[in-house]
Amino acid sequence: MTWQLRRATLADVDAIMLLETRIFENDAWSTEMMARDVGDPGCYYLVAFPPDSPDHIVAYGGVQAAQRAIESDIQTIAVTEEARGQGLGRVLMLSLITEARKRGARETFLEVRADNPGAQHLYRSLGFEDLGVRRGYYQPDNVDAIVMRLTIPPAEMQFTGGPAAESTPEPAPRRPLNRTEPLVLGIETSCDETGIGIVRGTTLLSNTIASSMDEHARYGGVVPEVAARAHLEEMVPAIHAAVAEAGIRLDEIDAIAVTNGPGLAGALMVGVGAAKSLAIALDVPIYAVNHLVGHVGADLLRGEGVTTDAPLEYPTIALLVSGGHTSLLLVRDLVSDVELLGETIDDAAGEAFDKVARVLGLPYPGGPQIDRVAATGSPTAIRFPRGLSHQKDVAKHRYDFSFSGLKTSVARWVEQKQDAGETVPIDDVAASFREAVVDVLLTKAVAACTDLGVPRLLLGGGVIANARLRQVAQERTDAAGIALRIPPLSLCTDNGAMIAALGAQLIMAGHEPSTLDFGADSTLPVSLIQS
Amino acid sequence: MLLAIDTSAGTSVAVVDLTQGVIAERGVADTMRHAEVVGTLIQECLTEAGVDATALSGVVGGMGPGPFTGLRVGIVAARVFALGINRPLVPVVSHDAIAYGSYRTGHTGPLLVVTDARRREVYWSAYSGADAEGLPIRIGQPALAKPAELLEDDFVHAGLPRLDAATISAGDLGMVAELGYAAGHPFAADEALYLRSPDVTVSKNGPKRVS
Repeated sequence: MTWQLRRATLADVDAIMLLETRIFENDAWSTEMMARDVGDPGCYYLVAFPPDSPDHIVAYGGVQAAQRAIESDIQTIAVTEEARGQGLGRVLMLSLITEARKRGARETFLEVRADNPGAQHLYRSLGFEDLGVRRGYYQPDNVDAIVMRLTIPPAEMQFTGGPAAESTPEPAPRRPLNRTEPLVLGIETSCDETGIGIVRGTTLLSNTIASSMDEHARYGGVVPEVAARAHLEEMVPAIHAAVAEAGIRLDEIDAIAVTNGPGLAGALMVGVGAAKSLAIALDVPIYAVNHLVGHVGADLLRGEGVTTDAPLEYPTIALLVSGGHTSLLLVRDLVSDVELLGETIDDAAGEAFDKVARVLGLPYPGGPQIDRVAATGSPTAIRFPRGLSHQKDVAKHRYDFSFSGLKTSVARWVEQKQDAGETVPIDDVAASFREAVVDVLLTKAVAACTDLGVPRLLLGGGVIANARLRQVAQERTDAAGIALRIPPLSLCTDNGAMIAALGAQLIMAGHEPSTLDFGADSTLPVSLIQS
Repeated sequence: MLLAIDTSAGTSVAVVDLTQGVIAERGVADTMRHAEVVGTLIQECLTEAGVDATALSGVVGGMGPGPFTGLRVGIVAARVFALGINRPLVPVVSHDAIAYGSYRTGHTGPLLVVTDARRREVYWSAYSGADAEGLPIRIGQPALAKPAELLEDDFVHAGLPRLDAATISAGDLGMVAELGYAAGHPFAADEALYLRSPDVTVSKNGPKRVS
């Protein structure tokens, strides 16, 4: 199972309290206490949730750490029964400690029930030391509290030994690469998600995603430098979390796979630097793979939450739609033959959602917001243009997309209403805009299937989370006799598991590893599956 | 024995040891190819030193100051290598390596280390001299400035002998870590020293009109 973390807001307090009262039966906090802490800027609360269900809170934790204060306190941490035993508590603790360190804390304290050895073990393994006992701290149960303290290390790890040289063992010869069911760790940093995934052959073992989306929200879009900085800070915690979730040891990994393009150059470089370093440290081969082909590779994974059973058949058409890409691919073979049929000539579809949301005064990211307000609107209220769909465009751009004109058309329509002093029917605008995007995406995708005689369509990319897109895709493919495949949403958004999956496919197909001199290529063509 | 990595200017990698000194060192001065060369340089240093990655007792990361994109490549490589071999990361301020190198080769007394920060700005750190171990004593934090500011009479370190450096030696960086550890000095914070905020501003006026 996969979890994502985000900072808690007051809107999460009710969900937190549901867990709080269940887990801490007799000594739960009141809703008022919890709300005060969550809303306090001197505190930092995180909630964990499955990627495809952001309102389903499975764990939470908070630290009190005033800016520049030396001491900080872990206020609470709780993981619901269903999510236990998968390293989520450790990930939460590491994230809280990291935040405390960023705020300037040098120490953090906590109290733990004397009758909870599991929690004590976790804290000690993180470097906490016992300071003392508070008798009868937990009432009415009359249970003692053990007070613990962590001296926050400057690095991710404690300095455990001196730099004096240790005895050098004979270097073990590199073991032959397991090409039947390789254990592959995938690293994805092409945009704002730090994704680490681990697969064994086609089996998904873990899919950890740390997103910096919240940091971009106030700018209304992904800021490359903010994303790249976040990748640097999230990389080690994300690898830790993925390894813990997969239940493996790092030294069992057979190979590393990494996205080397296309994407944001500065963001990609963090992943490339990390991947090369990890491959050398573990003495395993490295595979530099194409991000877009990785989205197709996501469909091959089997594991918890993956419902498809039939294998991916070739050839297939793939429609990849995200905040950075809108591409139509012809996949004849995942590891050797992928052709770009068309792509956006200006904005990506997800970008258009963000920009139109902004025009309508809705927050970032725009996709879910447009989806929400469109629910009560009419998709046929306003006829917005379908880019590159006129006869004159189709000759040259049959499978290409354009969303810039659509965005401008929506903005102009809204401005005319505002200038005339009329109320803007936000729900109709949102529904009609969304319909225009979905219509043109599916019209061209189905046309590609029909023209090329390929009765299979695969969807990928974060915009696939849009319910209307999935609905229309089902209707149109059913009508045209096309088999539709949609991987689980947690594998549609950018993630490391799909990169690991593609790496594993390359290994199983007998491809040689990449040499160590590849770079990040922001415009890597999709036909270059492995660099 | 430590692996040291610095990408705050070009890319430099070394394997060092307290008693043996710098065992292997490789560098590429190009400031635009960090991600391309870092892996090869690490591999070559380990091969030349004849050590298995697991025989290292830690990894030294040059934390800058340095311009955004390149700096991160070395830091993430150092952090992840340390994770991969389950050994600690030793963060070191990159300017300390430049100052150490200067004192090691005969300079004495105060020193102002200056490196390129791009965008017509420079990074600087000030040192009073070397201690008994030969380690530089930093008296002015790494900071960002316009070049002209360093020339003004009221600059806090005006008049210090100035060393403009275009490269950082990972060998020196590693030796700063070895000597510092042996002397019981604290290490630098594990934080990238960008000394600049990301180039972005929040629009207060909402979206621009199109008509």
